[in-house]
Amino acid sequence: MLTIRNLHATIQDEKQKTKAILRGINLDIKPGEVHAIMGPNGSGKSTLSNVLAGHADYHVTAGDVMLDGKVLLELSPEERAAAGLFLAFQYPVEIPGVNNMYFLKAALNSLRKSRELPPLDAMDFLQLIKSKIKDVGLDEAFLNRAVNEGFSGGEKKRNEILQMLMLEPRFAILDETDSGLDIDALQMVAKGVNSLRSPERSILVITHYQRLLDYIVPDVVHVMVNGQVIKSGGKELALELEAKGYGWLEGLAE
Amino acid sequence: MMNQAALPAWLTTYVATQQATEAWLRELQQTLAQDFLQRGIPSRREEEWKYTDMSFLAKECFTKSSTLRSVVSPAIVAGHRLKNIESIFIVLVNGHFVESLSDMRLLPDSVTLCSMKQALQHHAELVKAHLTRNLNLQKHPFASLNAAMLAEGVFLHVPKKTVIAAPIHILYLHGEENNIVTCPRNMIIADEHAQVTLLEEHSAYGAVTYFTNVVTDIHAEAGAKVHYHKIQNDAAKATHIAQIFVNQQQDSLVETHSLALGSKLGREDVFVNIKARGAHSNINGFYCLTQDDQHIDNHVHVDHAASHGTSNMVYKGVLDKKSRAVFNGKIYVHKGAQKTQSYQANHNLLLSTQAEVDTKPEFEIYADDVKCAHGDTVGQLDMDSLFYLRSRGIEKQAAMKLLTYAFAADVMNKMTHTQIKQRMTILLNEKLAHDD
Repeated sequence: MLTIRNLHATIQDEKQKTKAILRGINLDIKPGEVHAIMGPNGSGKSTLSNVLAGHADYHVTAGDVMLDGKVLLELSPEERAAAGLFLAFQYPVEIPGVNNMYFLKAALNSLRKSRELPPLDAMDFLQLIKSKIKDVGLDEAFLNRAVNEGFSGGEKKRNEILQMLMLEPRFAILDETDSGLDIDALQMVAKGVNSLRSPERSILVITHYQRLLDYIVPDVVHVMVNGQVIKSGGKELALELEAKGYGWLEGLAE
Repeated sequence: MMNQAALPAWLTTYVATQQATEAWLRELQQTLAQDFLQRGIPSRREEEWKYTDMSFLAKECFTKSSTLRSVVSPAIVAGHRLKNIESIFIVLVNGHFVESLSDMRLLPDSVTLCSMKQALQHHAELVKAHLTRNLNLQKHPFASLNAAMLAEGVFLHVPKKTVIAAPIHILYLHGEENNIVTCPRNMIIADEHAQVTLLEEHSAYGAVTYFTNVVTDIHAEAGAKVHYHKIQNDAAKATHIAQIFVNQQQDSLVETHSLALGSKLGREDVFVNIKARGAHSNINGFYCLTQDDQHIDNHVHVDHAASHGTSNMVYKGVLDKKSRAVFNGKIYVHKGAQKTQSYQANHNLLLSTQAEVDTKPEFEIYADDVKCAHGDTVGQLDMDSLFYLRSRGIEKQAAMKLLTYAFAADVMNKMTHTQIKQRMTILLNEKLAHDD
């Protein structure tokens, strides 16, 4: 499904200085698997998700990423979405003036077009979105508001999950979707994610805390420190990190 | 005497052959014409014309369209009508009122709505009073020229307490005749507590070159409500000069919503005079420039001469290619105009590195108990928003259009008339869709 080989990426900081963030990432995620990446602040977790989605601010200096045999790094962000990639953002942007429902319809029909499917008509779309919005616990009124505008942190995250449920990606990345969520919202988000779990679909969960992994149980847990994956293990690794923190592992980084 | 470009022969000929039937008008026009010829075409040395070069008027040749040569197909005209609502419809083609294409069925009996030619015959006193009201050759040279060359237009008089439910749609259409000049005048008089909604639309069929110099006078008496909309969708080679004069009496409300999409050179001056206590004025505009060398200049001047008035001025625009927009918002608060609340904003979105905006807010305040504020920005599309939309599968061009329309949305949403808003939104979207 997704293979990352020796991925290096840099970013220009405010002083236009080039800063290396990813320093040789290797990952192998097979169909049907859920992987979790944990790590301290500044370890490069969000950079990895942005690089995978194709954010122009990040510059890939070395390495390859393959999604279902396609060279991901050569694709535009919209082509990556068409290839089945979805990123639930850590900080979803507010887009005043763009109606949430219109946006979702445009996104879904763009993806359908790329799969050579006819666009969903207004009635079918409405029916679909009304059932999905219930699953994430948002009021239907949110559909008629501008994308994320004035949404609380939790509402934004639920809106991300709503998009994920609508677009049904083959490979989803959740970038700290649990941050800022109360326990009810967390369970709702987890339920949404779990409903997507299937043998063809893979999920990468990026998180700071073990808490989310109680609800979305991963097959593999990776620890990322200073731009590298320094340890991988089963779900029990998350519990160990919760108990011991990251300090005991930092010595493993180069 | 200012240094002017040489006066074009066509203009001298035009005003010399202007022969109004009414003696008073003939006399007035002769005087105005002489004065204008003496003053000359405004030059870029004048502050109000600093960014807009009118000297081409001396280089080109325009003539009057003496009779309507061809009749536009009704299908073209029908395409302009508002959808999902019945409207009162007045059509002028190449400056000539065409009764057969107009539709006045919904006009209440008590309301006068006719062509300016008809008004000059039957309502001479009213026309005369309003025609001479805003004459100021130095400040409004093209309004003086409009009066000097006036031949047609639309006259509307809404009597006291009369509410016209159907919107009045005035369509100025150009086609087939090249290099003509028209100076139409719209006179809108809303008596005490009258209410009216209008749409003035300028458009063309086929590619034609012409010069329009239009004046719209809006008089709102005490408690009157006038919702005025304008679509400037002139041909790509046309020149559109417009002056909108708004006079407001006590507790009146006037809203203007202006959408500029067409013409090579467009200049619109809006002058709002808050003449009596408690009048409210909303002046909104959106411009969308998509051609190289397209130039749109908006000057909005609000004069608060009475207390407790409010004015809200919001202009926004999108510029692509090598286009240029000018905005000048001026608020003048007189000494006695206490408790005035006035706001002006001009926001611009540049889609190209070659586009240029010159924006200038001005306040002159002589009262000490007022609230005034302004905001002006020039920016580009937000890259994070663009990335967000693209990451959901929306193609780059489509995402850019979505964000561009979103930029326009708040000013477009200030319109309360659903069907007019719908029509203006469709035209704006068509303009954005052709912008590739």
